[in-house]
Amino acid sequence: MAKNELDSEDYIVELDKVTCPTREQRANGTNVYFGKASELLDDAKKGNLKCTERGFQQSGGCILNFYLSVRVSTIRDAAIIFNGPVGCSHAALGYKELYGAIPEALGKPTNYKLNWLTTNLGEDDVVFGAKDKLIEAIKEAEDRYSPKAIFILTTCVTGIIGEDIESAVNEIQPDVKATIVPIHCEGVRSKIMQTGYDAFWHGVLKYLVKKPKKKQKDLVNIASMLSYAWQDRIEIERLLGKLGLRVNFIPEFASVEDFEQLSEAAVTAPICPTYTDYLSRGLHQHFGVPFFMYPSPIGINNTDEWLREIAKYTGKEEEVEELIKEEHKKYVPKLKEIKDKFKAIEDKRGSKIDVLGSLGQGRLVTQLPYFDELGVKSSSAMAQDFDNILIDELEDVIDKVGDFNVMVNTFQAAEQLHITEQTKPDMALTCPFQGGAWKREGSVSRLHSLRGDPRKWSTQAGYAGAVAYGNFLLQALKNESLQRLSKENTGVSVKKWYLDQPDPLYFAEKGK
Amino acid sequence: MSEKSENYIDESSSPRIVEAPRYGCTLSGAYEAAVGLNEGVPILHSGSGCGMSQLFGANYGGAQNAPGDYGGSSTPCSCLVEEHVIFGGEDKLRKLIDSTIKISTGEFFTVISGCVPSLIGDDVDAVVNEFRDKAPIIHVNAPGFKGNSFEGYELFFEALVDQYLKPSDKKEKKLINILGIVPFQHIFWKGELRAIKELLEKLDIEANVIFGEFDTVEKIQKIPSAAYNIVLSPWIGHRAARKLEKEFDTPYISFPGIPTGPIQTTKFLRKLAEILPINKRKLEDLIKEGERRAYRTIEYAGDILQFDVPNVYFGVVADSNTAVSITRYLTDEVGQLPDIVIITDNPPEEYKEGIINAITSSEEIQFTPDIIFEIDSFKINQLLKDRPFLNLYASSLESVIKGELETTHVTVSFPSYNRLVLGDNYVGYDGGLNLIQDLFYDKAGPL
Repeated sequence: MAKNELDSEDYIVELDKVTCPTREQRANGTNVYFGKASELLDDAKKGNLKCTERGFQQSGGCILNFYLSVRVSTIRDAAIIFNGPVGCSHAALGYKELYGAIPEALGKPTNYKLNWLTTNLGEDDVVFGAKDKLIEAIKEAEDRYSPKAIFILTTCVTGIIGEDIESAVNEIQPDVKATIVPIHCEGVRSKIMQTGYDAFWHGVLKYLVKKPKKKQKDLVNIASMLSYAWQDRIEIERLLGKLGLRVNFIPEFASVEDFEQLSEAAVTAPICPTYTDYLSRGLHQHFGVPFFMYPSPIGINNTDEWLREIAKYTGKEEEVEELIKEEHKKYVPKLKEIKDKFKAIEDKRGSKIDVLGSLGQGRLVTQLPYFDELGVKSSSAMAQDFDNILIDELEDVIDKVGDFNVMVNTFQAAEQLHITEQTKPDMALTCPFQGGAWKREGSVSRLHSLRGDPRKWSTQAGYAGAVAYGNFLLQALKNESLQRLSKENTGVSVKKWYLDQPDPLYFAEKGK
Repeated sequence: MSEKSENYIDESSSPRIVEAPRYGCTLSGAYEAAVGLNEGVPILHSGSGCGMSQLFGANYGGAQNAPGDYGGSSTPCSCLVEEHVIFGGEDKLRKLIDSTIKISTGEFFTVISGCVPSLIGDDVDAVVNEFRDKAPIIHVNAPGFKGNSFEGYELFFEALVDQYLKPSDKKEKKLINILGIVPFQHIFWKGELRAIKELLEKLDIEANVIFGEFDTVEKIQKIPSAAYNIVLSPWIGHRAARKLEKEFDTPYISFPGIPTGPIQTTKFLRKLAEILPINKRKLEDLIKEGERRAYRTIEYAGDILQFDVPNVYFGVVADSNTAVSITRYLTDEVGQLPDIVIITDNPPEEYKEGIINAITSSEEIQFTPDIIFEIDSFKINQLLKDRPFLNLYASSLESVIKGELETTHVTVSFPSYNRLVLGDNYVGYDGGLNLIQDLFYDKAGPL
């Protein structure tokens, strides 16, 4: 069931405001939960989800770092100003190389540049304020890079000392060619990092998107490239290209013009609904661009449905059926081969391969049906956050694949280790930030890739991705030496008593 | 290059707006020290991103290293948000320290305060004091706006001295501490520290290198009994050394970088022999053997050095430690010509002259390279254009522009996103040979 403009009005994007509300405020969001998916659904429906405190908590990233800054960094013909102490921009040191590694032969724009500055706030600035420094940085960015847009990323420090970013922007904007886009991503604003997405889209909708000059009936807005894998982008362009459609990918590697024309597209399609939600609603409410929220193009069936949704808005209903038929002819047999191999392993072990998925809430609702297609199961899943945005979709997934355990946390390594030790899945799928080898007996692989990964084996989207990732999972079952030997030789980071007691949320303050 | 008279330009006296400076904030340096200890656990009292962003900046930037069990996304963190800003974060921190000690298999705990608690005025010392008898623990007050990673490294040692170490009854004559090499920030730290330790072991001197060693607590506790503190940096670790001198009467001696190649290594060892009870016979044997092997081995690179890049100009973009060691080795031992040396670690004004002297005191050449103190990556790119150098020893940030500059490129300094370093280093008699191997790693010139 596709959530779309019919229920767009349940949250109104208020562009006269400086920024968005937090996910806690607007969508009842949480990143502390453990239970059955059906219980999570029930609690979400009743409005019972709470983002409670943890007595033991690990650094999961903030609104600025890392979901936001890494994406904003890839925008072409733009510059970024990290308005904070030097450390807030520390992570950005690597982005130039991470994205630089994508070959232009694969379609990376030749004029891709990554320009960023930090206002390098020091003790004096904290005491006396740093408005002048921000203005100086804006001028400096203009002089150095002649960007079309300058994004200002705010930080804990500017938030707490009460910097009036808007007044600095209003003062300097008349003298600067670039459009200045302040983004309120102060780390202390929200416990839920996904608030950063909304803060970014708020700035984009408010400052960059232009009123449509003309509607482009063949243009499809797509926000986010899953986990930034370049091949996903190629696959999506391939499929939509066959329908005679063009993709307006944002924000990764987009130009400022791509943002400006968001209002002219035929539809905004999701790859990650939690990421796209605020943008989709904003574009619909303020510029009349229709959208849908589910499914994402992961797995054969979801890709079929995703393409059909897009076709509805672009008048390609007939073409899409033709395309689906053609693609199935090539990819369904390949998927069946993979399924057969999983079946052979299942027969040998006597049970279905059980995968512990480390998913975002977006992947939670798309990955599990795909695992079902592969013939593996996921009796437990991890999600980084959960909120009202995906209530209907979760219900839909439970209907399709049955009930399962859900653990909601954002990079809480101890809790993730706990569920792995307790449930002993055949395979644990991780985000690539575990601190080293994931030490366990059994397979480990990754579900997200960090960089602009251009390799074909990393494809996950569309039909090619369904096959590539199926093979990726098969490979993971073939050798477990690294994680096993690491565990045997250096042990794990938490004590045994914690892993032995039943509750991964042992340190969470329940019911507050 | 320029004549001896005009030897350097200072562009970083007032770092205001900068692109991509090659270090993190104060919290970052303290984190690097805390997690550079084997089984060392940083506990961040900060916003939730301050630990996670170290992964990309400090750890991956520090030669693509994962931070291990207690860093990155595993870093305990109070994850402060607006409600703590209003009501204070002390209670959250108290619960965090308590639970971390209960759950963690780590051995040494470093509570690091970031920007937020400093701005809201939490009394972190008082909270940490409650746990002194429960585990080895220190508190480093390291708000990011205080300074850079190197500041954080000094603060870590100052906290260690003030809060944890006790004066020892007697000095051990053959024990020295090694300071000045910041974990991760100096990308070869693991190999450098181990190599220094192994070199001195041959002379029966025990180097307490602290970072990357097992039995962390024991190693830390030994610090006050050392006979000397040896600082391998023209400026980093000097504050720590002075603090140790003041508190424990441990004298210190400093070298401008790690000893690279025979000349620097022999000089380093002879200097140590002046202050430490080193057996003269053993020392001479070690020097003789080391020099003989190094000079014989470099002959195997003779053809490629003399015919591919004879008397080539080279450029360096690195922290001061690395810049001095590498520049002097290439100039004094390989016949190469220093063209430009850009120092990226923002040394305080009073140390700059010493760094310049260390680079320019070579007697092999009658000119000095341009020596520029610059932290801004945009300006560094501009400075490297239209120069005669053909080899560039720099960070991986410069690898992106190497095509533009028509240069070979070796990543020798932070950040290093294109080179995983687990044990590589340029220390000792073989150190220079390792550097030359890296220069020719993926190319062979037209012989």
